[in-house]
Amino acid sequence: MSADTLLFVITGGLVLGALYALMATGLAVVWTTLGIFNFAHGAFIAAGAYIAWQISSAEASGLGYAAGALGSVVGMFFVGVACYALLVKPFERQPNLVLLSVITTLAGASVLESGIDILWGSRSKQLPRIVDGDVSLAGVTISANEAVLMVFVLVILTVLGLFLRRAPAGRAMRAVAQNRESAQLMGLDVPRLYAIAFGLSAALAAFAGVFVGSIRFMTPTMGSDPLMKALIVVIFGGVARFTSPIFAAFIVGLIEAFATFYAGLYWAPAVLFAIMIVVLIIKPEGLFGKYQRTVQ
Amino acid sequence: MRYDPPFPKSNGFRPTLIALAVLAVLPFIFTDSYSRHILILAFVFAIVAASWDLSLGFGGLFNFAHVALFAVGVYTYGILAKTLGVSPWIAMPAGGITAMALAGLIALPVLRLSGIYVILVTIAFSQLIYQVIISQSDITGGTSGMVTLPSLELFDYRFIKNHRIGYYYTALALLIAATAFLYTLTRSRFGRAIVAMRDNKYYAMSRGVSEARTRLLALMASGLFTGIAGGFYGSYVRVASPDAFGLGFLTLLLSILLLGGAATIWGPLIAALIITVLSEAMGDLGPWRNIIIAVTIVLVLVFYPGGLWAAFQELREVFDTVRTGLIARLRRSREKAAREARLNATETMIRTRHGLIAAADSGEPDGEAGPPILMIHGNSSCKEVFANQFKAFGKTHRMISFDLPGHGVSANADPEKVYNVPAYAEIAEDVLDFYGVERPIVFGWSLGGYIALELAASGRAVRGVAIAGTPPLAVAPDDVGQAYDATSHFILAGKQYLSPMEMRNFATATAGEKTPGTAYLHEAVNRTDGRARFYMITKLMVVNWPRQMRMLREGAVPFAILNGSDDPFLNHGYIAGLTYGAIWTGQPHDIADGGHAPFVRKPDAFNTAFSAFIGEACDR
Repeated sequence: MSADTLLFVITGGLVLGALYALMATGLAVVWTTLGIFNFAHGAFIAAGAYIAWQISSAEASGLGYAAGALGSVVGMFFVGVACYALLVKPFERQPNLVLLSVITTLAGASVLESGIDILWGSRSKQLPRIVDGDVSLAGVTISANEAVLMVFVLVILTVLGLFLRRAPAGRAMRAVAQNRESAQLMGLDVPRLYAIAFGLSAALAAFAGVFVGSIRFMTPTMGSDPLMKALIVVIFGGVARFTSPIFAAFIVGLIEAFATFYAGLYWAPAVLFAIMIVVLIIKPEGLFGKYQRTVQ
Repeated sequence: MRYDPPFPKSNGFRPTLIALAVLAVLPFIFTDSYSRHILILAFVFAIVAASWDLSLGFGGLFNFAHVALFAVGVYTYGILAKTLGVSPWIAMPAGGITAMALAGLIALPVLRLSGIYVILVTIAFSQLIYQVIISQSDITGGTSGMVTLPSLELFDYRFIKNHRIGYYYTALALLIAATAFLYTLTRSRFGRAIVAMRDNKYYAMSRGVSEARTRLLALMASGLFTGIAGGFYGSYVRVASPDAFGLGFLTLLLSILLLGGAATIWGPLIAALIITVLSEAMGDLGPWRNIIIAVTIVLVLVFYPGGLWAAFQELREVFDTVRTGLIARLRRSREKAAREARLNATETMIRTRHGLIAAADSGEPDGEAGPPILMIHGNSSCKEVFANQFKAFGKTHRMISFDLPGHGVSANADPEKVYNVPAYAEIAEDVLDFYGVERPIVFGWSLGGYIALELAASGRAVRGVAIAGTPPLAVAPDDVGQAYDATSHFILAGKQYLSPMEMRNFATATAGEKTPGTAYLHEAVNRTDGRARFYMITKLMVVNWPRQMRMLREGAVPFAILNGSDDPFLNHGYIAGLTYGAIWTGQPHDIADGGHAPFVRKPDAFNTAFSAFIGEACDR
């Protein structure tokens, strides 16, 4: 394997990793805060991409890429809040919330995907690229679109990290995630913070959808593959820290790039799932997770 | 100790027979291929969902690779029957074997995890199998799957002929076999181990249930008929496609399971029929169909988290309440003369603070009179159970008795407020106040014994208390295990719905064999509001038991225990071991061969003893 190919595979893996980091962080925000797994996250990604298309594409409103991304993120925040209110909140007091939320979020995903199908049809679409052309850096040439995309992802994740660590609302969300009862006793409005967490997660999904839509074709079911990848990443890295899924995302992206190169396109996902199962058996709390006596 | 009647004698037997008969003649009503196609699909989904219920509902194992077990059954059939040319009749059950083997593999990671991690690892497992299958395109056909699989035939009769009649009955036979398998399994020792492992893992382990073995076998058992159904499905649609791994199929099955009600077996069977028919009926709505189904699922789960089965149970309770209420209302006027003749007393409907109560009063006796006597009957009985005593003591005592709410000809009542011992004691007070009776002798039988003790302990002035078939308790429900011998009939005391056999067993164990003379006591069980049994047992905790015990220990009230020596429910050693301040004859008095109701079985011996107790109580 030549150095060129190696660099090519690595950059491919890093781009994948950046996208996975965005998806997995969105998934992890809901998981850590509410303790449930949101199966509608893939549909959020698809919905985000389609809203952006509706606003930005020349065939529709034609307001440009930036307006599309912004509108999509804001719109999806409210979709996320609505999903929390309709799909999760009614079941919060049920003892089997984990199982019930699986079926309700699956139902929500079904509604969103069918809604996309009705509104925009099943013909595949594509968002315009952010920038055209290639960039070269230290002898590596990648498309400018992917480079910009990676920069954007890093900026978004940094802002999110700062929000969670510094902003009062972000700190309140982390407090609720750590101990719901104590947070409630301290006067935090838990249902509101849950709604914000869901909305934030959906907004991150919208970003992911906007980026995925510019490098791949969009279909109503475009979110199911990213959802599976995000699931692998979250399990792989655990959710002990905000950064755990991000590191895990880049590792998974690199593994996938190398597995695709060596084992072929069809075997790459199988390798990933096998690795995920091994991680779950040996260290259920994730690679970067802390040891806990009980795993809920 | 758990009580399960054999299936032919349980409540579910007759409805099951009716459902089977309907399903057997259904193809003669729906003669076209399309209707039968929908029914066949519904049967297949029902088998898969009900099998999933074993691991998910009963076992609490969130195995989301269950759809993979089904898909593996389909592919096993495809590879064996088409590629290797094996007979479809062997390839179909072979699907069950491979699915079981795969379930065993899935169990390995599941054994170490719990909760949401099980969901995640099984989804990963399912995706792993999916990836392996689509990567082996020369064997499995890759993403496009395998087509033109061999179909079922027997002696050159192709099952697809005559509008799929052969497939219909094969699917029905599979459904019956799968249901029988799951039903038997959940009621077996092993089935109880599965549920115990779900409800209290560490307690089950301390009682010798192996966690690994139980979970492994539960998953494998859930795979058996899933795989066979997969094989059948492969022979029916003649395609093995990787679509079965998708979230769509998973959502369909999960909604069948949760809509029907987890841990019920029957719920998913009904829900499979409803959802399949509904989703086919909306087939031309396109994407709207998915939206309608998804919204329906969420709405049902919001209003009935227990699924349609829970809704059905509520309906059944309403029906049973109306039925027992109507029986009471009809009898109130119609058979009044017969009841009054039986007791030689006048019956009055009294409006108490807990509803309308039927009470009987023999009136002040002529000549020299002893103290008035209040007699309180037991669970699922009626005041006429004391016919012998009313006749024997009616000439010398004023005899009073009443039907508990939900029993006899008293009205049914609010189960939350009325069906408990303290409320019953308040009703007894109201009845005494209505007749203006002061300081009676109170006799209580079984549940009535607790009411009598509660009445006296709450401060009502009584001349004496006698109980039969009642072990006094200090702590409920902890003492119940010691105080009673846990026979299977004892479980019936708190069971809401009794089958005809159970009614007979319960009445025989409490009041004796059915004879023309005691037929009305057997009938009383049928009239009793099932909620009265259920709520009374679940609300045993609201009684102030230590107060009753203290009263017995202090001995200020003359007290007698008149048990049958062969009472099938009581632990006589427990009763004899308690401390009594003032008990007639110094110890519990046993009446030979009296059973649970000595005053019915051995009225003469009972009346002699009771009369002696009354005499001593009046002398004090």
